[in-house]
Amino acid sequence: MMKNPMAKNLIQAYRQAPWRTQIQWIGLFLLGLVGIVLMTGLWLSITAQATAAGVEIQNLEYEREDIQRKIADLKTQYAYLTSAAVMEERAAALGYIRADMKQAVYVIVPGYTGRQPEILALPITFEADKVDIIKPVYTQSLWDILFRTQFRQGIVLP
Amino acid sequence: MKLPTISRLTIVSVALTLMGALIPVQMVRIQTNIDARKNTQEYEDTYSYEERVLMPERGNIYDRWGNLLAGNREVYEIGIALNEVESPETIARDLAAVLGTDYAGVLEIARTTFVKGQIEQITVVDFVDQVSVAKLAELKKQYSELPPPRRGQTNPSLAGLHWSAHLHRSYPENELGANVIGFVPYLNRMNNSGLYGVEEYYDERMAGSPLTVTVAVNPTRVEEIPNIEPGDSLILTLDREIQSKMETIIDQAVSDTGADSGTIIVMNPETGEILAMATTPRMNINEYWRYDEVFPANTAFNRAIGQILEPGSTFKVLTMAAALDMGAVVPSTTYYDDGWEEVGGINLHNWDNTIWYDQDMTGCMRHSVNTCLVWVAKQMGPTNFYDYMQRFGIGHRTNIDLAGEESFPLSLPGDPDWYQVNLGTNAFGQGVAVTPIRLIASVAAVANDGTMMTPHVLRAYIHDGRQYDIEPMPVGSPISAETARILSEMLAVSLEEEASAALVEGYRISGKTGTADIAEGEGWSDYTNASFIGWGPTDDPKFIVYVWLEKPKTDRWGSVVAAPVFQQAVEQLVVLLDLPPDSVRLQLK
Repeated sequence: MMKNPMAKNLIQAYRQAPWRTQIQWIGLFLLGLVGIVLMTGLWLSITAQATAAGVEIQNLEYEREDIQRKIADLKTQYAYLTSAAVMEERAAALGYIRADMKQAVYVIVPGYTGRQPEILALPITFEADKVDIIKPVYTQSLWDILFRTQFRQGIVLP
Repeated sequence: MKLPTISRLTIVSVALTLMGALIPVQMVRIQTNIDARKNTQEYEDTYSYEERVLMPERGNIYDRWGNLLAGNREVYEIGIALNEVESPETIARDLAAVLGTDYAGVLEIARTTFVKGQIEQITVVDFVDQVSVAKLAELKKQYSELPPPRRGQTNPSLAGLHWSAHLHRSYPENELGANVIGFVPYLNRMNNSGLYGVEEYYDERMAGSPLTVTVAVNPTRVEEIPNIEPGDSLILTLDREIQSKMETIIDQAVSDTGADSGTIIVMNPETGEILAMATTPRMNINEYWRYDEVFPANTAFNRAIGQILEPGSTFKVLTMAAALDMGAVVPSTTYYDDGWEEVGGINLHNWDNTIWYDQDMTGCMRHSVNTCLVWVAKQMGPTNFYDYMQRFGIGHRTNIDLAGEESFPLSLPGDPDWYQVNLGTNAFGQGVAVTPIRLIASVAAVANDGTMMTPHVLRAYIHDGRQYDIEPMPVGSPISAETARILSEMLAVSLEEEASAALVEGYRISGKTGTADIAEGEGWSDYTNASFIGWGPTDDPKFIVYVWLEKPKTDRWGSVVAAPVFQQAVEQLVVLLDLPPDSVRLQLK
């Protein structure tokens, strides 16, 4: 049986030129390298952002502590400036004198129930916890938003 | 045979490739090598996390109108990080100049050798104010901006000097209300629990709970530091203006009479709220380290709650209240005084040995007739008398919310230290001992339609941003409302008939003087406890005031030295409480 002489030639015809094979390998290598570089770059970028955010959080936490201390300090400084002795001195310097019993004039003011004790914080009866101060849009799930914006469009609510 | 030629380019390429390949090899080695991992782990453990104790801000103390009585100030602790020090001389010099510290001492600290893990940083000074720290910060900045020094020269530098802020207790009103507030010995940062007053009584509530947390220093691992809630703040029943006035009045009275000490308590009989509690001695609680100097041994920090005294005739209010309530006497019951009354085989006399002959019960109170009250107690009998005294809480603490309250047990029939004569002497306030707060709380039952309230100084507290009000707490009704009103009227009439120095123009007042001998060794002191207790307006009492002067030198009688002080106090009080004269007030009804 005779061999088809073209068979070898056909194989020969489909073989890549050596330089092409090299280029392909180099291309594949570079593709992998670019992929690794991209991944590394992405990782570095995210890590850098997270670290920057971490540093900012740390700074903000220290700042919060500092502000809380400053507020406490300023409250106390204000109290020194308005203490009973200081206020009495300031009043005297402005020419005021303390009213004594005989100088006091009492006037009937309808509806006035007298000086009420100071309320320095929310009373316990105030149910602030039940008032949601965060807008619903920030707490809804994606499904909630889709449902609200897509599926319920056109539905006329009673 | 000809060897293949290797170009220089190839050699350089191989070398560079090898060097490049070494980087990932080294990375892998560090990650996998046991020693390298150990080092990395150690480094991570040391520097990635630190343990911090979060100290909550101590709660504030306010008066009933929201005026701050106790708050917190920001101060700084200054220390030296030894491995960072560049110029010990500059640190010592500048700290001496700005803070007045000892140059040689600081220099020695700054030159201390750094020993890792053992001597790394040393605190130099604490409780430095903000202004001084700002000066140091400015100097540090100036030095850091200096041009590099020439060879052989050094620049001044505060490198290594660090400061950190913290809070310490501060009292803006200084002395005002000091005996009620107490203090926090803030210089001892390891143990700065409150001492005396509300600072001690409510210490746990105000201090809050410190929290130990592990904080990531490594910013890639940062986590939220929990927000620590401050301790509860207190709103007291005290009125700053009334307290201030009462302190002025009692200081003046002590000075005028030469008394050893003085006390004024102002209370709302309807609620038991203490509006003012002024006592001497008193100190600026910002300088609490002067305690031993101001309060010598055995001196109570707050005499209104911590000092026992024989009340004398002010106690007759309780004796008469008990007798009226059980029906042993009525206001018109007459008593014939012949100058003495026998009890337990002992004759008891009047305070000035006067004979008052026929007196009704109002007269007995007006002239403070000891013999009459002895007779009244005898009419009641010891069982009833002491039963009533116990109902009034005599012999027990009032449980006022202040640290350091004292009490003196009441001797009862059957006790080894009780004798028949006790019934007689107790009836006029001798041989029985109370604190000023005990007496005013008991007598306030008469001013409050027979209901006795727990005296208290806390009106509300703030916890987690919410204000919780304290409800007044009754502790019993030792006498009926009717008895209370009858006795109030009797005591108002007795003051009016006596033309007492305690009377206040325009306001009807009920009250009673007291002069008690002071036991000293086997006998009696030349001095007395002079006092006055009164309330008003009689028909609708809004205040009850107790004045006590210990051992006044100008006069020994309560009617002479204590009653005028009561009058001064009430004259101020009615203005500060917006209480119109009776004529105006009754028109409004």
